[in-house]
Amino acid sequence: MTSKIKVQDLKKNYGENHVLKGIDLDVQNNEVVVIIGPSGSGKSTLLRCLNRLEAPSSGSIVVDDVDISDPKADINKVRQNIGMVFQHFNLFNNLSVSENITLAPIELKGETKEQAQTQAKKLLETVGLADKFDAKVQSLSGGQQQRVAIARALAMNPDVMLFDEPTSALDPEMVGDVLGVMKDLAKQGMTMVVVTHEMGFAKEVADRVIFVDDGKILEQGKPDAIFSNPQNPRLQDFLNKVLNV
Amino acid sequence: MKKWLIRSLGLVACLLGFLGVMLPNHTAQAAEKTYQIGTDVTYPPFEFANDQNKYVGIDIDIMNAVAKEEGFKVNIKPLGFNAAVQALEASQIDGVIAGMTITPARQAKFDFGTPYYKTGVVMAVKKDSNIKGFSQLKGKKVALKTGTAAATYANSIKDKYGFQTVTFDDSNNMYEDVTTGNSVACFEDQPVMQYGVAQGLDLKIVTKPANNGNYGFAVQKGKNKALLAKFNAGFKKIKANGTYDKIVQKYLGTSSTTSSASTKKNPKVADKTFTIGTDVTFPPFEFANDQNQYVGIDIDLLNAIAENQGFKVDVKPLGFNAAVQALDSGQIDGVIAGMSITNERKAKFDFSSPYFQSGVVMAVAKDSKVTKLTQLKGKKVAVKTGTAGADYANSIKAKYGFKTVTFDDSNNMYQDVETGNSVACFEDSPVMRYGIQQGTKLKIVTGPAEKGDYGFAVKKGVNADLLAAFNTGLANLKANGQYDKITAKYLGKDEQSATAKAKPAATQDTENRSFVGLIKQNKGALWDGFKETIWLTIVSIFFATIFGIVVGLLGAAPSKFGKGVSSTLIYIFRGMPLLVLALFIYTGIPSLTGSKIPAFIAGVVTLTLNEGAYTAAFVKGGIEAVDSGQMEAARSLGLPYGKSMRKVILPQGIRIMIPSFINQFIITLKDTSILSIIGLLELTQTGKIIIARNLEGFKVWTIVAFIYLAVITLLTWLSNWVQRRMDA
Ligand SMILES: Nc1ncnc2c1ncn2[C@@H]1O[C@H](COP(=O)(O)OP(=O)(O)OP(=O)(O)O)[C@@H](O)[C@H]1O
Ligand SMILES: [Mg+2]
Repeated sequence: MTSKIKVQDLKKNYGENHVLKGIDLDVQNNEVVVIIGPSGSGKSTLLRCLNRLEAPSSGSIVVDDVDISDPKADINKVRQNIGMVFQHFNLFNNLSVSENITLAPIELKGETKEQAQTQAKKLLETVGLADKFDAKVQSLSGGQQQRVAIARALAMNPDVMLFDEPTSALDPEMVGDVLGVMKDLAKQGMTMVVVTHEMGFAKEVADRVIFVDDGKILEQGKPDAIFSNPQNPRLQDFLNKVLNV
Repeated sequence: MKKWLIRSLGLVACLLGFLGVMLPNHTAQAAEKTYQIGTDVTYPPFEFANDQNKYVGIDIDIMNAVAKEEGFKVNIKPLGFNAAVQALEASQIDGVIAGMTITPARQAKFDFGTPYYKTGVVMAVKKDSNIKGFSQLKGKKVALKTGTAAATYANSIKDKYGFQTVTFDDSNNMYEDVTTGNSVACFEDQPVMQYGVAQGLDLKIVTKPANNGNYGFAVQKGKNKALLAKFNAGFKKIKANGTYDKIVQKYLGTSSTTSSASTKKNPKVADKTFTIGTDVTFPPFEFANDQNQYVGIDIDLLNAIAENQGFKVDVKPLGFNAAVQALDSGQIDGVIAGMSITNERKAKFDFSSPYFQSGVVMAVAKDSKVTKLTQLKGKKVAVKTGTAGADYANSIKAKYGFKTVTFDDSNNMYQDVETGNSVACFEDSPVMRYGIQQGTKLKIVTGPAEKGDYGFAVKKGVNADLLAAFNTGLANLKANGQYDKITAKYLGKDEQSATAKAKPAATQDTENRSFVGLIKQNKGALWDGFKETIWLTIVSIFFATIFGIVVGLLGAAPSKFGKGVSSTLIYIFRGMPLLVLALFIYTGIPSLTGSKIPAFIAGVVTLTLNEGAYTAAFVKGGIEAVDSGQMEAARSLGLPYGKSMRKVILPQGIRIMIPSFINQFIITLKDTSILSIIGLLELTQTGKIIIARNLEGFKVWTIVAFIYLAVITLLTWLSNWVQRRMDA
């Protein structure tokens, strides 16, 4: 196993607000890392630093041997290998389902429309939405939109997928569909970094669970260890709250 | 319309000048044997006014030399070529020497003397040009002067050699078009061209004279054999004794090297075109008559003087204040606008000799009991901005305890008194007299106070030649009676007959004052104004939209610098009132840079900056209104900023912006009306001018308003259609 993402002493502050206070993190090839932690602890910020949607204040982030904290790095190139799925889906409202998926391959990989559409069809099949190829984005339910968003990210054939609370904005009955797609991905060996409150998913799929609080990693380990034998009192406190709701 | 107007005015002036010069001649001829010889106004080197405004040139010198040889007297009159020819035909004068080519058509009417100069059409190019012959002109542009033999010749060969022609009214403009490289060559009579080159033009003559001809001295056919014989005899002598060669050499030089040292004194105003500003409506000094032509004492005088002195004028009815500002900033060369000569103005302008004496009178409504200044206590008095009447009223208002209301326009001022809003108004007596003669329901109740003089003004220290020419011309018109004719035309010969004469009023009554009648009568002017408005709108919308989108995109970009530039531009140009911006660009910029800006361009720049700033603001807002997650999603796929903008953000933003765009187009159309302030003859200015003449404010503004509404309706339909197509 080699290291896919290597984060060293990552700090991020918005003015006086120090959000990340020194994060060290290695993500191995084919590893599924789940990040948990209370609201406002910096989970999203950490995830967004991994593809430079946020510029780090200090520290280094190396993805596939490219230091993306260096402003000279070709970030658009690196991003093509890192898919990202957002809490609010962010499908392009001016484009149809198929166009959402084919835009990047056509624009960036020079694929023809036919090639991109063939691939889009396959991806829609794998997320269970083959019949929505020509649909308008606005006509889809939240769960369907999120699965299209996953298909859109996969269309660039990334080696890493970042998920920021992909199910938080969904009605409960749709959560299962989206998690199902994510589980399949994990089984196929996709390297994944997932911010989620779905503890069941974490237990079942994660290779490693990371607990972030107040901008720092307070504890990490196998799901078993984290959930059945938490060490840090803050983690214990956190798990108490989430699991006993 | 403007060109046509000025041309017709020129014609009127020409005719007046012609009559004025001719009438006294009959008596002169009877008294002693002086031959009256007509010539052209400006045709260097054959005839032109030198810098002392004395007529000189080859024709003049030859004529004088011949007369001296033969012991007769000549009185040479620069009537203009056509006027001279007509005068000769009518036996008003005895002969014509005016660089006139001897042609069979002319020989049918006139007897010609010995040909005194051989001429032909030559082509000239820029000194550093490689062009040597007609065959190199293919696909190029060639500059010509209207009405010349050279232009006729060039037009006759242009198809054969495949060149295009550009026509100018003025030799200097034609030459300049070649020296700047717009045109590659120009055609002109050989001596004229040669003289220009000797005067320092950056041109060279590259062809031999074509279409050769001879200039001849002409007398009426069969009539003046004696004069012709004298001319031929004298001409033979001056050719023999070398005088002729000396004369020709004096103006043309023998070769291009021995050229000009002695002849450098070229005419300072001759053949130049001066732009003269005047008021929009200040009858009887300037106003549009019922054919929408500009007429009045100022206009007629100016044209007559221009004709007399051989320069050209482009008269612009800018409005009094705008004209004064334009003069101050060097946009125009002079102002004639019933302007009183005051010490204050003398600080900035140089004035001509006074051309009209005026004084301020007070007028009240016909049925008013007010007759004295003392009755004004506590009342309101109407004045027009910047007039001597206003100055006078302001100087005495404390003493007599009245208040003043200020108008930009005489008609509005009169109306304020007629309706009883103000009890009286102060105005220059000729203006007031004319207004009453035209049916304004006011009466004059005081004698003229603050007697003052009207003067023609140029910017201090600039255009001294124009001023000198004006003064000389004015003196000439006064001497030959033309001046009296012009003033009598508008004011009547004396005060009684002026007020009693109802003729202009009668012709007014025959005008059809119904809506249909008004439209019919003014359709030409309204159509021109409409076209100017539409053209201004289209060009301005085009540039404002480009400017707005660029600045808006800059403002929405992540760069701090771009954001700063964008919001500064929006701040400045959205914050500045359109009127101020227009005046600043039109009159302020030239004061800073020293170069003129045509009013149309100033207008387009104004609208581009102002409307563009609003456009930028909503373009920026439209982009920012698109959910930021859209940009993040696009960027996270690896799409660069520009692509994300084009493929994802703008298509969504434009939907948000479309109603604002439509709104902005409509506002731009309406805002063109503000540009009437810098004298653009668009729809609103056209309305003002028509009303100034017929006082049908309500009806004309209704017509103008309907035209605007009609265009806006069309524009709205068009935009709705576009929007529906985009939504589909
Ligand atoms: N663009 C920003 N500007 C200023 N402060 C920010 C910005 N983005 C995040 N923050 C702050 O950083 C802190 C961490 O935010 P972040 O979104 O990473 O938390 P989180 O762990 O993802 O929380 P949640 O579970 O609610 O999503 C918060 O205090 C937030 O207010
Ligand atoms: Mg978050």
